[in-house]
Amino acid sequence: MTKGDKILVLFIVLLSFLSFAYINRYAFSEQEKFISVQVNGEEIKKILFDQQLVGHTIPVETEFGYNLIEIGDGQVRVIEADCPDKIDVKQGYISRIGETIVCLPNKLVIEIKGESREDDIDIMNY
Amino acid sequence: MRKTNKMIFISLLVSVGLALSVIESAIPLPIAMPGARLGLSNMVVLVTLVVFGFKDGIKVGMLKSTVLMLVTGSVSSFIYSISGAILSCILMHIAYRYFSRVFSLIGVSIIGAAAHNFAQVSVAVMMLSNARIYSYLPFLLLISLFSGYFVGLSSTYIVENLKKNFRVLFSRQETV
Repeated sequence: MTKGDKILVLFIVLLSFLSFAYINRYAFSEQEKFISVQVNGEEIKKILFDQQLVGHTIPVETEFGYNLIEIGDGQVRVIEADCPDKIDVKQGYISRIGETIVCLPNKLVIEIKGESREDDIDIMNY
Repeated sequence: MRKTNKMIFISLLVSVGLALSVIESAIPLPIAMPGARLGLSNMVVLVTLVVFGFKDGIKVGMLKSTVLMLVTGSVSSFIYSISGAILSCILMHIAYRYFSRVFSLIGVSIIGAAAHNFAQVSVAVMMLSNARIYSYLPFLLLISLFSGYFVGLSSTYIVENLKKNFRVLFSRQETV
């Protein structure tokens, strides 16, 4: 192996790791995602992200307590809560699929879920 | 070397490449990833490039994928493999002819393997019109490093032995 080979190998490794990081960060977060609001284990609201909904607030009032959810541009947070510790308010925005905001006293779970799109690959044949 | 000799030698190389492709498809890979192959038949293309030059190298590569389509019967894989063969052959030729001081055969072969994968994935993106398939590329590039390294290493030995035992190939190559 010459010096050029080693540089080439290093370059390809770097390139693939960088692009892998890039893909993980951006490409997959662009898929259809929605906010799932669950109280006591049941999904009570399902909200698709929309440009028109930015800044919109949604009150969630149940027998367990009161929370106010604000929808941002591809992200969501809790801005008001009547629970004592207010951990859900302090957590701030969540934006990536799989992330959750949990408010235990009010039995509230806000989760971002991804929808698998129709044009996904089923089988690739080589 | 006479014209007939050369023709026979090239057709032998094509058939060796075919046999390698068929054997390769019987070897299971630990990674389930579309497009990940050992690329053993790339060895043949590389050796042809070194011994006969660009024109015959690309000829062998294209013939190999065409006949492989007839053997396996899958047309879609033919489109992937021939695009990969053409691009990798062009890039390997450039690397070998103009940058042989920088890269040894191993580097040339890694370039070929990476180009093969890139062309395949690009064709898949075009055919399925879904740019998200490019997310396979980083994995495929990493795999192509390993396969390219071993293909390059074995091609080095092949070329060495050919030089020793088939001097006629190298001594009168210029007269063709």
